[in-house]
Amino acid sequence: MNDIITTACKFVTSSIGRKIIVALTGSCLLLFLVGHLAGNMTIYGGCPAQGEPSWIDAYATGLHSMPVWLLMSIRLGLLLILLIHVCFTLVLKWENYHARTHYQKEGTMKATLSSRTMVLTGIMIFCFLCWHLWQLTFNGDPHDCYNHVIAAFRNGWCSLFYIVALCCLFMHVRHGVQSVFQTFGLNTRKVRPLYNIVAVLFGVVICGAFISIPVAVLTGILH
Amino acid sequence: MNDIQFPVSDYMPSSCIPEGPIEQKWTKYKREAKLINPNNRRKYTVLIVGTGLAGGSAAATLAELGYNVKCFCYQDSPRRAHSIAAQGGINAAHNYQNDGDSVYRLFYDTVKGGDFRAREANVYRLAEVSANIINQCVAQGVPFGREYGGLLDNRSFGGAQLKRTFYSRGQTGQQLLLGAYQAMEKEIGKGHIEMHPRTEMMDLVVVDGHAKGIVVRDLVTGEIKSYAGDTVLLATGGYGRVFYLSTNAMGCNVGAACACWKKGAYFANPCFTQIHPTCIPVKGDYQSKLTLMSESLRNDGRIWVPKSREVAEKIRKGQMKPSDVAEGDRDYYLERKYPSFGNLAPRDISSRAAKEACDDERGVAVTGRGVFLDFKDAIARMGKEWIDGQYGNLFDMYEEITDVDPHEQPMMIYPASHYTMGGLWVDYNLQSSIPGLHVLGEANFSDHGANRLGASALMQGLSDGYFVISSTLPTYLTTIKPGSVTTAAPEFKEAEDAVKARIQKMMDVKGTKTPDEIHRELGKLIWEDVGMGRTKESLMDAIEKIPAIREEFWNNVKIVGSTEGINAELEKAWRVAAFLDFAQVLCYDALAREESCGAHFRLEHQLDDGEAKRDDEHFAYVACWEYKGADQLPVLHKEPLTFENVHLAIRSYK
Amino acid sequence: MANLNLTLKVWRQENAQAQGRIETYKATGIPEEASFLEMLDIVNEGLVHEGKEPIHFDHDCREGICGMCSLTINGVPHGGKHVTTCQLHMRQFKDGDTIWIEPFRAKAFPLLRDLMVDRSALDKIIAAGGFVDIRTGSAPNANNVPVRKKTADAAFDAAACIGCGACVASCKNSSAMLFTSAKAAHLNLLPQGQPEKNKRVLAMVRQMDAMGFGNCTNQYECEAACPKGITVDNIAKLNRDYMIACASEAVGVFS
Repeated sequence: MNDIITTACKFVTSSIGRKIIVALTGSCLLLFLVGHLAGNMTIYGGCPAQGEPSWIDAYATGLHSMPVWLLMSIRLGLLLILLIHVCFTLVLKWENYHARTHYQKEGTMKATLSSRTMVLTGIMIFCFLCWHLWQLTFNGDPHDCYNHVIAAFRNGWCSLFYIVALCCLFMHVRHGVQSVFQTFGLNTRKVRPLYNIVAVLFGVVICGAFISIPVAVLTGILH
Repeated sequence: MNDIQFPVSDYMPSSCIPEGPIEQKWTKYKREAKLINPNNRRKYTVLIVGTGLAGGSAAATLAELGYNVKCFCYQDSPRRAHSIAAQGGINAAHNYQNDGDSVYRLFYDTVKGGDFRAREANVYRLAEVSANIINQCVAQGVPFGREYGGLLDNRSFGGAQLKRTFYSRGQTGQQLLLGAYQAMEKEIGKGHIEMHPRTEMMDLVVVDGHAKGIVVRDLVTGEIKSYAGDTVLLATGGYGRVFYLSTNAMGCNVGAACACWKKGAYFANPCFTQIHPTCIPVKGDYQSKLTLMSESLRNDGRIWVPKSREVAEKIRKGQMKPSDVAEGDRDYYLERKYPSFGNLAPRDISSRAAKEACDDERGVAVTGRGVFLDFKDAIARMGKEWIDGQYGNLFDMYEEITDVDPHEQPMMIYPASHYTMGGLWVDYNLQSSIPGLHVLGEANFSDHGANRLGASALMQGLSDGYFVISSTLPTYLTTIKPGSVTTAAPEFKEAEDAVKARIQKMMDVKGTKTPDEIHRELGKLIWEDVGMGRTKESLMDAIEKIPAIREEFWNNVKIVGSTEGINAELEKAWRVAAFLDFAQVLCYDALAREESCGAHFRLEHQLDDGEAKRDDEHFAYVACWEYKGADQLPVLHKEPLTFENVHLAIRSYK
Repeated sequence: MANLNLTLKVWRQENAQAQGRIETYKATGIPEEASFLEMLDIVNEGLVHEGKEPIHFDHDCREGICGMCSLTINGVPHGGKHVTTCQLHMRQFKDGDTIWIEPFRAKAFPLLRDLMVDRSALDKIIAAGGFVDIRTGSAPNANNVPVRKKTADAAFDAAACIGCGACVASCKNSSAMLFTSAKAAHLNLLPQGQPEKNKRVLAMVRQMDAMGFGNCTNQYECEAACPKGITVDNIAKLNRDYMIACASEAVGVFS
């Protein structure tokens, strides 16, 4: 038992161990994104303005009719994963900053813009998340979800903020996805281009689909 | 021109070669050698200077055995010693190819390749342990080239008719050194080796006739310090940079060996310096170093210079492309002079032929010191792809350095100083003429005679370090009381003061010439006069001019900065001063050896076909030079060489 | 053959404690065929003649194999041409160029003087586990253990690392993962390295962390800066091997 605890302690304080934890929690969040997106896409099903039953209202109502303990544990679980992801990243970033002395003239060869802006996009996503939770999760009636969303996105500033934040999410995911493969040790020179394609595709599909909602509202496709 | 009469002494320390048939000498030695109890070994402190193949492997091995090892190198890490630059491979008599190799054959090839100027017993031992070196390195994880069946591959190399060379692509030296370095780091990690990087040995401390310590300069702080030990192992490499331009690293120097020489160790056969025929030629005065192109290129390249001086001049001035020279205007001089061997003539012969062509003002390259190595015919015959398969990386490297594509235009090559067979004299125990001072690897003179065969340097360094010194060191150590001398002994203070005074003297000159400028001047002189073809006149010229350069150094050198902290100029100056002291004995030895053998070629002594004319009757000995003071001639001691197991013959590769 | 006139912006710092600064030098009449270090030699010779202290930099073999030379040129270690600084030639630059020359920077590489840094942290990682622990003389016959050619070649590719530290210097986090992983991969791939595989991985990674290097964020700058073509596949392998080694240490699986 002692061995397990000792190793675990060393693991969570080692550079690779913490990277693996960040990658693990990141993967969970990526999965959450997929689930969340699937739910969001129900907004394209049924328009209450034309008297059709709204799918998203049904979906939201369904979510809220879960037993409270289940809903709360999912929410707390997600929160915990997110906090671990954020805290570990910040600690690593702090260490990395202090491991380096800076050049008078900086040069970059290969590092992508998205990889160099992970913390920035991460913070942006976090801010967005707070706003998003306040606006759409904790406010509004689940039975009237559809109208609530449409009302929110009719505001141009609100939509713009969403779009910008989701672009940040794309950047974050684009580096994150291929990074997960590397950190889990699944990378080789042969498959690396494939992972890059997967990362970009994943980002485009997920973020594109999310962005499509405010865009659809602004262009009047959803009303 | 006066003849110099060198004082000759009859005294010669014993070479300590065990009795008996040559096959049994080493076995018998090991059987009878003294041993030290494992618990007592840690009482002995071994100081090792240099961390190349010889020093690094010795440090690791002795630390494993339990000795208290302290190790020094001038580089920032033991992994950077210049053994790392060896390309081709390492010989071993494993006979994995089933082509009839044996210990005796490797022994014979090495003695013959050395033009019968090496000590039989040492060479036989080298051949005997060679197979163990490969076993050891493979176990360490050295990634040697392998066949598809998973077993080790071999390639053939110069001077041998079979495949016995093990290799790791073109980086064999690097991989072997990393093996030794890792073994060393393992012992450093366990606390068995105290490693001192960025530390240069300045002097040897001799107490009651025994080597008991060294004085070093910490290259970071500039501090002069001493270390005491029970024995000193010198593994500081060769003195090829006496030519200034060479394939050696910038830091390679003769300082430590020269200091030991001045303290009484004999310098043996200093005139045996190997000039490698295929290096990239000098570009200009600013040039710091010459890059070797593998000798294997001569298998398919044809060497030529223009027949006429006019064409050569046009090429030098860039008015004509080499590829435009008509076939009839080309002089394939090696093929012309040596029709049977052609472009594959031995190293010394092809080097000299290139020099002759350039002396005739038919050389190419900007400086006029270069010849062509042309792949036009080979490409036409075998196709570009085949050539790239054979030499692709070399062609790339050449293009990287010269910006010329060897597919389009011929390569330009010229000989350069590469390896030195001479070094401090050692006996069978690898002990020098100073008791307690052992010398390993290129720094000693022992195994290559007058010429070293390719892929043998790595073998010798590792043999000395891994297998020989561990058995021979107790022979000395058991005769002394461990830890009997500390740095409190007055000899240490004396040596330190002498070093400090010498440094101060240099610093105080405050002249106008940089150490590099003086080094270049010396190098040019040695290259011209003591290079590939030596004559009595040229040697006398050098002997006359060296003191003038030394004079210039001590009166006109300019060293900026202070003695404290890092001072690269001071480091250079210290090394140049040693080369200046040493250069003289190099010339003396070349002058005294009135014969041609291997890499030592006296134009007066050649056969009709231009081959070296050896004089076994008068010169079958190791010339050992004892220092007698700066203004005195050194004393010559002779160790006679007897050949009981090989037949003395004219070295012919025809 | 043209000569170049260049402006050099060089980091000068007398010693570890002193305040460093960029100084500007003119390098005039530099032959195109000169190597980068020969260019500095020429500048230095001029400085010495003026009675000024030359620019100090590390160098030794000058043929791209010893790993001692270590300049960051225009923000990129070794200049980013897949060769070491000593093999970089001046024809890569244009007349009138301004070249920034700085040391390899990382907290784990304390500066010694001007462009010289102390890279002994890398040696300490090797000392922790970058070896096969066998005694001299105890080795079995070299052909007793066959090694697949593919494996031997892969091990060689990893072993080609020259330990120059460009990976650390190029990394935005000063991580030494490429160096550490290359040595671990070299030995972990070979059958001779198997008995100590888990122990080696744990020891090397822990030593690396203790030396104050940063953490890898998979940006692959190291791979781009490496003069010997060491790939980040080695890092992936080290991550994998590390997970296995931790599992082995904690609960005894994979051991």
